[in-house]
Amino acid sequence: MIPTLLGITIMVFAISRIAPGDPFSIAMGPGGQLDAERFADFREQQKKLHGLDKPLPIQYLIWLKRVVTFNFGDSIKHHRPVIELIKERLPITLTLNLIAFVIIYTVSIPTGMLAAVRHKRFFDQFSSVIVFMLWSLPAMLVGQLLIGYFCGPAFVSWFPPAGLSSNQADTLPFFPWLTDRLWHLVLPVICLTYSGFAYLTKQVRAGMLESLRADYVRTARAKGLSNMTVIFRHAFRNSIIPVITIMATLLPAMLGGSVIIERIFSIPGMGMLAFEAVTTRDYNVVMAVATIAGLMNLVGLLFGDIAYAVADPRVSFESNV
Amino acid sequence: MIIMAEKTAQQKSWGVSYGEMVRREFAKNKLNVVSLVLIIILFALAVFAPFLANDKPFMIRLDGKLIFPLFASLKASDYSILLAAAIGIWQLILIRRNRRNIEPSIRGHVLSRQLLINASILVAGSVLLYVFVPRRLDATGYRELISSGRASDAIFAPIPYGYARTELEVREQPPGKEHWLGTDDVGSDVLCRLIYGSRISLSVGFVAVGISSLVGIAIGSVLGYFGGKVDFIGMRFVEIMMAIPVFFLIITIVAYWERSLFNIMIIIGLTTWTGNARFIRAEFFKLRNQDFVQAAVSLGLPLRSILFRHMLPNGVAPVLVNATFGIAGAIFIEAALSFLGFGVAPPTPSWGQMLSLGVSTTGRFLWWLTLFPGVAIFLTVLAYNLVGEGLRDAIDPRLRKAA
Repeated sequence: MIPTLLGITIMVFAISRIAPGDPFSIAMGPGGQLDAERFADFREQQKKLHGLDKPLPIQYLIWLKRVVTFNFGDSIKHHRPVIELIKERLPITLTLNLIAFVIIYTVSIPTGMLAAVRHKRFFDQFSSVIVFMLWSLPAMLVGQLLIGYFCGPAFVSWFPPAGLSSNQADTLPFFPWLTDRLWHLVLPVICLTYSGFAYLTKQVRAGMLESLRADYVRTARAKGLSNMTVIFRHAFRNSIIPVITIMATLLPAMLGGSVIIERIFSIPGMGMLAFEAVTTRDYNVVMAVATIAGLMNLVGLLFGDIAYAVADPRVSFESNV
Repeated sequence: MIIMAEKTAQQKSWGVSYGEMVRREFAKNKLNVVSLVLIIILFALAVFAPFLANDKPFMIRLDGKLIFPLFASLKASDYSILLAAAIGIWQLILIRRNRRNIEPSIRGHVLSRQLLINASILVAGSVLLYVFVPRRLDATGYRELISSGRASDAIFAPIPYGYARTELEVREQPPGKEHWLGTDDVGSDVLCRLIYGSRISLSVGFVAVGISSLVGIAIGSVLGYFGGKVDFIGMRFVEIMMAIPVFFLIITIVAYWERSLFNIMIIIGLTTWTGNARFIRAEFFKLRNQDFVQAAVSLGLPLRSILFRHMLPNGVAPVLVNATFGIAGAIFIEAALSFLGFGVAPPTPSWGQMLSLGVSTTGRFLWWLTLFPGVAIFLTVLAYNLVGEGLRDAIDPRLRKAA
């Protein structure tokens, strides 16, 4: 855990240093505002100011210190401490992803199970086709079609096209505020959910199919247990384990996907922050966001491991760490 | 060294090779075949793009003289794409012939020699093309010449527009007779840009996956073969690569690097190899203790030979499957990057960038700019995913037994 964390900081640092040129050349370079001679002076001055004239290991240690103390410097665009921005934006992305996560798991586990139980019958084939289509559908297309047809003059305007809440929603009492918020979240959550749903359903179905073919299921059936007991107690309990580990692949994909979805729906979350930082080359924010995203991913993996141990009695943390 | 066989008598005794078995299993599912055909059509579109959509006519009579502007305007890159396609088709024909004429045991050697020869022809040809084909820029308005009466007898491509055309008077037009799929914000023909956009998607897909497969195989094979400390340190590195969500990692790099097609290919390739490395590592763990590997080691063969001649061919199947999904993923990532404005710079056509114009800055919704590029991405990704799925089912022996 800790070495990986250190590794993430090394990696982000390396990306920022390996890149050709330096931020000042991009900002002020040839064709920029300064002529060659004054630019060289300016660059030296800036390098000294930002500590870029020191040797690389020292630079890394300075960066590490900043990570550990959560002091990522100021954002060039917003003129505010980066960590403040992240504190504002992170809960939004987390809420969005958590809602999507819960929906994905609650919908796809029953769907996948039913598909496996009805193997090669109508429901299985129908759901497989749907799932496969959803899996390959780009979120950009879905998002824009939803905005185009449900938020504007083109068809109906049932949902707001952008943002998280209506104007002056802060003045509303709690429940109207909540409905307003949920009303804004419907379309983004749909976009964030469907591809993960497709992926997870496929995995649940595959896992279920495998355990339904296993010997212990045949044994359970031979004992004369009811179909329900066999499916839920014997097959399902065993096929749920890989489904939990999938969290590890689903989470980073969803975090990445939220960049696109927050951009489409103009939601001021982490993804939007990353997008803005990259367009304006706001390097402090870029580095901070990458580090925090890695950190969140690690936390997700940790939860996955814990859930794994809970679900599978054969796994324990005490015996071999 | 090529042993030519007497066809009919010996063919049956060769039996069915592993590749043949996978191929038959793959072809059983009609959907797999359909998606393969779709991929071939996309390839054809990408290769023949200049002949399908071009604002220069194939042939035109200008001031009484017959000229061929389209052929004269082709760039070295167009020619080398055509050359690559021709060599690719020739290689496929060779593989088919090998299957008939060459004994399975030496087919691998023959194939690698053919691949080497063809690759060198391709490289040499491309270099020659880049040296000898002049860089030409033909900005003549041939259609204006026709309407003014100076030129006649023109034969245009089916879509007589260039991909970088700006004609503001026809901007944001819905699909119609003139422009089959409408026009974009600067008046370029959407269909034309879609066709050229397939070049970007396919090249990003293949080059990025090529890089990620090579890096993944190199790292994964070393980790899997040596195990122990090397594996422990290497796997920590892989874990770190996997810890940062890929898309965040990519846009972080994009923030620092110049945004060109070449860089995007490299960035996608260098950030997505971890899956391949893990697959190969797992396979090599299994293979390491097998007799034929032990034999190769005790014969004192060089490491390169043990890893890549003896072990790799036996463990490469999951990477091939993963590569197919990887192409879909890379196309997806490229589209997303272009959508966010981090992709190739306009006027180079890219599906993701076109899609981003669907909701214009003024908030107007242009359905044709959303639907057509989006569906293009969807169909391409779907086709590669289906082929990958089909390949995996065909390769997986467990499923073959069950079926």
